[in-house]
Amino acid sequence: MVERIEDLNLPNAVIARLIKESLPDGANVSKEARAAIARAASVFAIFVTSSSTALAHKQNHKTITAKDILQTLTELDFESFVPSLTQDLEVYRKMVKEKKESKANKKDASSTEKPNSSAATEEAAE
Amino acid sequence: MAEHDKSGRGPNSDTFLPLSRVRTIMKSSDTGLITNEVLFLMTKCTEMFVQHLASEAYMESFPASQQPSTETLKYDHLSQLVNKRKNLEFLLQIVPEKIRVHEFQEMLRLNRSGGSDEEEDDDSGSGTESDE
Repeated sequence: MVERIEDLNLPNAVIARLIKESLPDGANVSKEARAAIARAASVFAIFVTSSSTALAHKQNHKTITAKDILQTLTELDFESFVPSLTQDLEVYRKMVKEKKESKANKKDASSTEKPNSSAATEEAAE
Repeated sequence: MAEHDKSGRGPNSDTFLPLSRVRTIMKSSDTGLITNEVLFLMTKCTEMFVQHLASEAYMESFPASQQPSTETLKYDHLSQLVNKRKNLEFLLQIVPEKIRVHEFQEMLRLNRSGGSDEEEDDDSGSGTESDE
């Protein structure tokens, strides 16, 4: 669980970069504004997560799915995010599939080399 | 409104924010198992939110400055946007509008003379509503 409240902060440098990307060239962001956006982003993530969890529970599901999140975003009035996220998700799924396939191919080629590569992915899913 | 296109980024599976941090944040709200796919999606939409918030606040405050401009996005622009948009209501207490000390004292005074405050500082929405 969360031990310190700082654990909920998102890295400043990444936030700064994302903001810069979304503003016209030459525009600046005050330190205070950046901090506020970072805070808002953490709260957004918590807000969407807990709303999705509630939605999943209502449907008697224990774990949230991608669909729950997309539906939650629509309900929370962020439906403008959904199309682009759906596309990202498709690309992500394709990538995972390709990774799996190339791993399987590798396994065929050298089946005794790395027996615990699949264990690593399972761990990552926890 | 095409902040996604403007950054020249089509759909892709790269994330900028660290997945592990987003997972920690998600776990703080008592979710069960978090699959990699869900984690990816949350990270992406948090990134989108950051960009959405920044560009909306900027456009709202400097409507004509699409082209290269040297305006600075400040805290007040954000709190104004949060106050205006229905879907940012959840941030009202996270990005509150700043007020001056004497305004705050005035608020306290009014509150007191208005009487009937059973519980002191229990979500005091009255302050922000007063000027509408």
